[in-house]
Amino acid sequence: MIAMRYTKTDGAEFISHLDLLRHIYRTLRRAGIPVNYSGGFHKHPRIFLNNPLGTGIKSVAEYATVDTPFTGDFKERFNLFSPDGIKCADCAYVESNQNYANCITSCTYTAEGLAPFDPEEIMREKAIPLIDSRGRQIDIRPRIYAVEWQGDALKFTAGCGENNLRPDLFCAYLEERFGGSAKNITKVAAGAEGVKFI
Amino acid sequence: MKIATDDIRDILMRVDKPARYTGGEYGGAKCPENAPFYFCMAFPDLYEVGMSNLGIKIVAESFLRRGYAADYAFAPANDFGAELKKAGIPLYSLSLKKPLAEFDMIGFSVQFELCYTNILYMLDLAGIPLRRADRAGKRYPLIAIGGPCAVNPEPLADFVDLVFIGDGESADADVAGLYLECGGPTEQFFRRAAAIEGVYVPALMDVKYGKDGRICAFEGPTPRRAIVSDLDGAVFPSSQCVPNVESVFDRSIIEVMRGCYRGCRFCQAGFIYRPVRQRSVDTLTRQACSLIASTGYDEVSLNSLSTGDYPRLRELLRSLKGSLPDGVTLALPSLRVDSFDSDFAQDARKISLTFAPEAGSQRLRDVINKDITEEEILTAAESAFDIGYSAVKLYFMLGLPTETDDDLRAIRRIVDLIKSGYGRKPRAKGLRVSVSVSTFIPKPFTPFQWEKQADEAQAEAKQKVLRDCLYIKGVTLSWSDPFTSRLEGVLARGDRKLARVVERAYRLGCTFDGWNSLLKKDAWAQAFADCGVDPAIYTRERAEDELLPWEFIDIGITKQFFARERKRAYGGIVTGSCKAGCSGCGLQKVCPAAKGEA
Repeated sequence: MIAMRYTKTDGAEFISHLDLLRHIYRTLRRAGIPVNYSGGFHKHPRIFLNNPLGTGIKSVAEYATVDTPFTGDFKERFNLFSPDGIKCADCAYVESNQNYANCITSCTYTAEGLAPFDPEEIMREKAIPLIDSRGRQIDIRPRIYAVEWQGDALKFTAGCGENNLRPDLFCAYLEERFGGSAKNITKVAAGAEGVKFI
Repeated sequence: MKIATDDIRDILMRVDKPARYTGGEYGGAKCPENAPFYFCMAFPDLYEVGMSNLGIKIVAESFLRRGYAADYAFAPANDFGAELKKAGIPLYSLSLKKPLAEFDMIGFSVQFELCYTNILYMLDLAGIPLRRADRAGKRYPLIAIGGPCAVNPEPLADFVDLVFIGDGESADADVAGLYLECGGPTEQFFRRAAAIEGVYVPALMDVKYGKDGRICAFEGPTPRRAIVSDLDGAVFPSSQCVPNVESVFDRSIIEVMRGCYRGCRFCQAGFIYRPVRQRSVDTLTRQACSLIASTGYDEVSLNSLSTGDYPRLRELLRSLKGSLPDGVTLALPSLRVDSFDSDFAQDARKISLTFAPEAGSQRLRDVINKDITEEEILTAAESAFDIGYSAVKLYFMLGLPTETDDDLRAIRRIVDLIKSGYGRKPRAKGLRVSVSVSTFIPKPFTPFQWEKQADEAQAEAKQKVLRDCLYIKGVTLSWSDPFTSRLEGVLARGDRKLARVVERAYRLGCTFDGWNSLLKKDAWAQAFADCGVDPAIYTRERAEDELLPWEFIDIGITKQFFARERKRAYGGIVTGSCKAGCSGCGLQKVCPAAKGEA
């Protein structure tokens, strides 16, 4: 099996999760990298992606495990045949499915264009109640793990999976509270436990 | 000018399936830098529909091969269209991101009548005046249409500069060459374009009406349908772009044949694509392998109007299976029951199989020249069941000429026989039958072109007969909306007077009329009323000596042949396949089957 970190940039950030899976599958087929199939009536290629990223959010830290007997230069081969913006950044041979969808519990993002504020102001809050995109009342404060400035860009770490916080939702909150307009929201790292390759 | 994805990022974040508008498809055509001619292949329906269409890829390829630029544009869904309009961003092409108005020619592929308002929608979003008269003397792209609806382009005549009739492999790009030679859309250009086979210039055609409101004369050069004689050597894209978003037919497509031997009297495609031309097994195998390698698809669809009639089908399937990588499945979407062979169907996922008896009774099947028997339907169904299929979809029509309620009730008999055929052996699952009944529309250039179309009340009454007799467990019945069918019939059989109605309907908010949920019936009704046009005059029976709005086009088939076939229909006489003997439709000189080469 091969675990890889790959990008979703240059327009590919607008591709939905399901379509992304198809694109990775087709890239592997074009590249001549064989993929093992699941057993069962409806066979599907054993490609395992991390949790879906909100459509429109860029990423340089997407993860997937591909069940393949391939032993050649995966990264080179993959990138030769992948669409623009979906590029393998690094990969490793692993024994088993890294199960990124379950293991990744936090993600770090950067965003430009927000008005300056003191990150401590956010971290000091006991609760930040919001209405999410589906109209539900949620408290996002427990899902915010770290906030800091990196030059003009804001870098923040938020929950992923069970404690998921959509980065665009958080940025919209920051825009409303402090001003500015978030641009180029990009996932730059993922935090996981119990995986070999991250 | 280029519309960068970053310029519209905010909009893309708000709309459904934004990857339809970003471009960057894998394997997308690389346009030459500073091309002498820029062609935009436009498709007046959604990205996921247009991306499944093979024809537009062939036409685009014909431009690219000559060193011209060719890019695509699709109709944006209403959410994105409204955002573009609000932001003042013009409709742009897919990969070059070039505003449509900056192209030299925009060619719309018009697949069916209910996308006419979408052509106007796209022109409007592109900031291009809808009517030819309003563009005259100004620098706008040539607006062209092609595809099956181009055989009666008259309802669109006032909007377009050029109409491509017939095969699009050469005429479209020939026009580009002529355009460059003439230094633009000059008078000379249009005059010479009209002389190219397959090109019609509406501005040069004067349609005269008599006092009774009917056409009495056509004055202008007669356009002739373009026919590619060598399909095997014709332009075909060896690689095709892979859509960003799952398309309706998300697989590789090869075109096995063009045209159909059968001549079913209701079927427009069966006549306007005549004569049958085939590709060789070698060519098809090469094309399929190249597509699979370059796209990464795992399915190849063998398209034609009736793939079972391809004489070397077995050889082709063997060749494909021997040459394609393991795990690639073959789809044969157009099999007639009399050519259905369990060997052919083995490969596909054995879920549901579709047959099209078209009419319930043998009498009516003879009338429409659907040359199949009840026994053939049942044999095909049973051999499908024996290899594991447990669902059948049956296509029928209502409102066919000479049809009675008994003919409709005969559909029940077929369903019963299929059910008992399924029950003859023990099977793992219960049988599911879906019966889909659409309303017959008498289309131009068919033997039924003179027929009256069932009006809404008649169609509804016939649907009720069907609902009453097909209310059975395990059988689902679906039917087409009578209003939609009528509108399609009016537009298909229309003349230039309908341009006003189409434009009015668009102004009243009509777009995506083929999508049931988006069709605005009230707006269409108002458009007809506002323009003082009675739709019934278009769906009425036409006299055989009346000049039909599309009659000035030389489609290659004689009017006498259509009249003869109509007479035979009323006599219940089957004409049968071209392979069984030539019936002299008028294309003998260019027809391989007529020359005994089939």
